[in-house]
Amino acid sequence: MNITTATLAAALTVVVGLANAEEYKFDASEFEKKTFEFSGYIEHKEEALKLRGGSPAYKLVYPDKAAQNSLLRSTSTLEATGKLNLDPFVADLRVKGTYAYDDILHSSDSGKVMEGGLRWSAGPGLALDAGKRVQLWGKGYAWNPVGFVERPKDPNDPQVSREGFGMAIGEWTKSFSDESGGPLSAIGFTGLVVPTNDRMNSDFGKKADLNPAARLYLLALDTDIDLMWRGKGARPEAFGFDFSRNINTALEVHGEWARTLDAEQTTVTASGVTSSQTRDFSSWLLGVRYLTPGEVTWIGEYYRNGGGYLAEQLQNYYQFLDRALDTRAAAALENKARKLAQTGYGKSNPGRDYLYVKASVSEPFDWVYGATSLTAMTNLNDGSWQITPEISYTGFTNVELRARVIFFGGQSHTEFTEKTASQRLEVYARFFF
Amino acid sequence: MKITKLLAFAALCLPLLASALDGVEILKKVDRNLEPESYESYRKLINIEPDGAKKEFVIYTGKKGKDQVATLFLSPSSDKGRSTLRQGDNMWLYIPNVGKPMRITSLQSVTGGVFNNADIMRLDYAQEYAVLAIEEKKGDAGDFYLLDLKAKTGEVAYDKLKMKVDKKFILPTEIECYASSGMLLKTLYFKDIKDFGGGIRRPATIETDSPLYKGYKSVMLYSGLKKKVFPDEVFTQGFMSRMEELRK
Repeated sequence: MNITTATLAAALTVVVGLANAEEYKFDASEFEKKTFEFSGYIEHKEEALKLRGGSPAYKLVYPDKAAQNSLLRSTSTLEATGKLNLDPFVADLRVKGTYAYDDILHSSDSGKVMEGGLRWSAGPGLALDAGKRVQLWGKGYAWNPVGFVERPKDPNDPQVSREGFGMAIGEWTKSFSDESGGPLSAIGFTGLVVPTNDRMNSDFGKKADLNPAARLYLLALDTDIDLMWRGKGARPEAFGFDFSRNINTALEVHGEWARTLDAEQTTVTASGVTSSQTRDFSSWLLGVRYLTPGEVTWIGEYYRNGGGYLAEQLQNYYQFLDRALDTRAAAALENKARKLAQTGYGKSNPGRDYLYVKASVSEPFDWVYGATSLTAMTNLNDGSWQITPEISYTGFTNVELRARVIFFGGQSHTEFTEKTASQRLEVYARFFF
Repeated sequence: MKITKLLAFAALCLPLLASALDGVEILKKVDRNLEPESYESYRKLINIEPDGAKKEFVIYTGKKGKDQVATLFLSPSSDKGRSTLRQGDNMWLYIPNVGKPMRITSLQSVTGGVFNNADIMRLDYAQEYAVLAIEEKKGDAGDFYLLDLKAKTGEVAYDKLKMKVDKKFILPTEIECYASSGMLLKTLYFKDIKDFGGGIRRPATIETDSPLYKGYKSVMLYSGLKKKVFPDEVFTQGFMSRMEELRK
């Protein structure tokens, strides 16, 4: 009996020892660089929407559909990236396909090239790039007034990947780590053109133009500073700057300022009289990110959208929509409403002043890989708001689970009460490969 | 009389100054024995939960000079292509397809678990810490130095360190990391001394635990550590999306 016990104990010791040896095995040769790489994710999302069935926004989104007050929608997405590493050239392609099903539109699918092209790294400080590319300018978390050559960010989901524009880019960088630059630690310059006509980059602008733009980056006195410019072309000329700096180990401050010249703004009265005016305007943003000793990350941003509408202007627009999208309204009036929805009124945040606050906690209550957050955004001019509690979990390797609810509120004829839905629940699972 | 007093005071301070000098030299030796000043390496980070569940990350790291570090995530797929950059006290995170480089702080963690960003993008100890005191001690595993270290600036992640240094190899065996309040934040254990070639012989495993994460443990495994000098431009925001080019 004693011999058996001793044998078992010895065997167990060997097994545990082997297990420990296995536990900490690591050989870097398993991770050698590959010539071709393929990666991406598959996502399935379920949404439950409490709709504002009789609202003008509903009629704009679902023309000729009967009003209904709730909707379930399923969406499956595949985003895949292929990369060919032929040093010093890299060719890549990122595509996204989506299939959605709901009771109103039944099924819809779409597939598009999000990004793709050829990059030549002429050296560590110089790269030339041509293709469909995403430029992300600015330091703001929810908004980027200096995002001159990119599709607008969705403040509800600022980190969602975006589609690029066809462009040619040259990037040059110089570092002064040897302190020869004085207070300047690094400098970088990006020059690019975004050619447009009625076939190429037509969603940037239909006017035939090269649309040059440039950005000068400086790291000086531990502060990131960018100076940006977009030449007059399919879009108005604009220039601006941004900055970001860590004040201490837990606090970061950032800001952006942009001036747009000769920009056209369309306004409408409640009775439907439209007018356009061309003017210069400034937009800016000031924000902080702070990690508290209790591990709560606070992000706060104030955004002045110089090209946006004041509360009264938005109210006039919503009152006009009420008239124009009424079942008894003339077809011409409805067409006018649809055209106006393509202008600044149709932007995700068309107002003038906003406040954004997000509090997030990683691993709350010792829930490792879990995260929760609460986000509030308000239009300071009309007092309408949205609040988004969210929960996510990344504990399973290559799997991300996320759920959130968005509540919209405020008085009638204000921005967040004129959305298609008054509440939205989203749950999704994403698998990375 | 005044001069006599001054000389007496100086004589009293001399041993302290001498010990501080010794401590600084030992700390500098620790730094060079752990890594060359400029190098590349591969590391696997394993976060282990109380129930034994694990999450692993593999990262490639390049370091140059006193204060420039860049890392690239190679695994898992959900994190592949992410890169981080450190220039002195400045840190950024780049997530491909999602956003521009975003400033992060040393106390946050890009991997979760017990290791924070300062642990993952560590600079030389002598760069960030001053030696307050040094003692010679005897332990079960052999003689060691006990170094009391104090952060040189408020930007450093830990205010104080207590570092046990093996006297024979001049390599750390254990480091306790404290907040300015005196609270113990974590303990790092250096294990498994391995010859990486090129004259580099150092612990291949660093384990850490923390009273703030009871029952959790994180492990850092080293492989492919070798001396390498990178161009300065590698350590700029513009290069963060091109970090893969460093791996041949």
